[in-house]
Amino acid sequence: MSREDGCGKIVSWARGILIALISLAFLFPFLCMLLVSLRSRVDAIQPERIFTAPLTLDNYRLAIGGDLGSYFVNSVAVALFTTLASLILGSLAAYGFARYQWEKREDRAFWILSQKFLPAMAVVIPYFLMASLFNLLDTRVLLVICYTAFNIPFTIWMMRGFIEDLPAELEEAAFMDGCTRLQTIRRIVLPLVLPGMTATAIFCVINSWNEFVFANFLTSIHAKTVPTSVMMYLSISGVKWGEMAATGVLAVLPVFAFAIGVQKYMIRGLTFGAVKG
Amino acid sequence: MADEVELRESMRGFFRGEKPGFFQQNQHLKYIAPAMAVMVLLSVVPTLFTIIIAFTNYRLGWEFDRARIVWFGNFHRLFSGGDPDFWHSVWISVLFMVLATAIELALGFFIASLLNSTEFPLKPVVIGILIIPLAMTPSIAAQMWKLMLNAEYGIVNYLLQSLFDLKIIWLSKDLAFWSVLLVDVWQFTPFVALIIYAGLRSLPSEPYESAAIDGASRLQLLRYVTLPMLRKLVYLCLLMRAIDSLKLFDTAFVLTQGGPGNATEFLSLHVFRLANAQNGLIGRAAAVALVLLVIVGVISQILIKQQRKGEC
Repeated sequence: MSREDGCGKIVSWARGILIALISLAFLFPFLCMLLVSLRSRVDAIQPERIFTAPLTLDNYRLAIGGDLGSYFVNSVAVALFTTLASLILGSLAAYGFARYQWEKREDRAFWILSQKFLPAMAVVIPYFLMASLFNLLDTRVLLVICYTAFNIPFTIWMMRGFIEDLPAELEEAAFMDGCTRLQTIRRIVLPLVLPGMTATAIFCVINSWNEFVFANFLTSIHAKTVPTSVMMYLSISGVKWGEMAATGVLAVLPVFAFAIGVQKYMIRGLTFGAVKG
Repeated sequence: MADEVELRESMRGFFRGEKPGFFQQNQHLKYIAPAMAVMVLLSVVPTLFTIIIAFTNYRLGWEFDRARIVWFGNFHRLFSGGDPDFWHSVWISVLFMVLATAIELALGFFIASLLNSTEFPLKPVVIGILIIPLAMTPSIAAQMWKLMLNAEYGIVNYLLQSLFDLKIIWLSKDLAFWSVLLVDVWQFTPFVALIIYAGLRSLPSEPYESAAIDGASRLQLLRYVTLPMLRKLVYLCLLMRAIDSLKLFDTAFVLTQGGPGNATEFLSLHVFRLANAQNGLIGRAAAVALVLLVIVGVISQILIKQQRKGEC
């Protein structure tokens, strides 16, 4: 009996150590980024001093003081409008998919899902040419348009699951009580689906916040977003690692905070149709 | 009044999935039409545009009427070896997809089972740590890895040197591919792990109990109980990771710019190299983009079909 306990203990210790090691491995790059962001330019490239060099906030000051401020403004504006547009269009479509039956419904749904896999690189050329025709290059509007196109499939897919999760009887009852369809959606569906919608919104925000291909090729000066800042730090006299790391830390914080806040719904939203089925 | 009653009746019919009449049958249209229209305008039209450009010799900065239709000229050049880098790009892209997907799925599944097998108070912290790579901007994360993997002043080599007296030139011609793979695995294994973990948590316990009574081994449990129940979820991860790793651009672009030489010039980077300001070979780039599109389309269709199998 005691021997078995010993074995169990060893196994659980081994498990604990393994989990700790795995966590450390995944955390390590972020830790490095944090440490580098707090070091002076010379200390950043001296790995032996990474834990001991004096701390400084200069990098954050320099990063925000430079062009980065406007990059952040662009990123926020683009993420906000993209999310709004994709949520409105996507949720409406999701409602249609969740609440109506029609012959080719599943085929349509999978066509939409397959659009999610369209490689950005395959359409960035026509986007570029069309945008230059309409004089939209290097504007936030263009990025919002691109990102909305790429976020809609995802939004429909996630929101459909959340809406299908609600019992249709609730809507029926409201309808019987004399609510119009629009009132039913506004008063019954919307409040109930709000947590899921928040999770979907945060996915949209993350997608557009971190997007690189369109941002890099369709903007040049005015509409640059945070992910493209890496190109700015590749100066001839060497990469400004500290400022870059500071940018990275600033960029990851809001996303991380959001993601932690709704992680439960995020994971559930992603696994719809795959767990139930 | 009569209208309203009729409407209510028809709506109840809808919710029960009864066969609707013609007009009602198209009621879904007003919900899905706006999104569909936007997608046709912003995904289908550009795709068609790419196809058209791929048959021309259009170059960056030309007036459109200067472009000539060259029919399959661009494709002929690609497939006949006139563009020696092309087959290399196809090969490493597919290899990268297979390796990244396999490693991320296996490792993700392992981490998920590990997390599922034990309860401890710090679990939310571990989950939080797993979210960090997913939340980090890929381009900036890749830049960070570039510093960490630097042969002279990177922290990875510093640790390897002080622990094992090893010095690895991570971004050399031989290893650059594997470094990109390493970064991809670091960034997206948590994605698989979190999804599979959620799936494992949602599994019912009865099948495990009866399997335990039948004396099933752990491997048998995995093969005959867990995997079949998680089949759709695993296909979902497979689909997402396979396609995303095939499309990979930012990580490789920042980490290696496709180099050294063409060691990490994946298909999307090849498109970029042909189309960028120096070369401006838009027509040829569009042809390569189209090849990428076809590969992505074929693989996603196969995986989606597999995932839908067994659905009614």
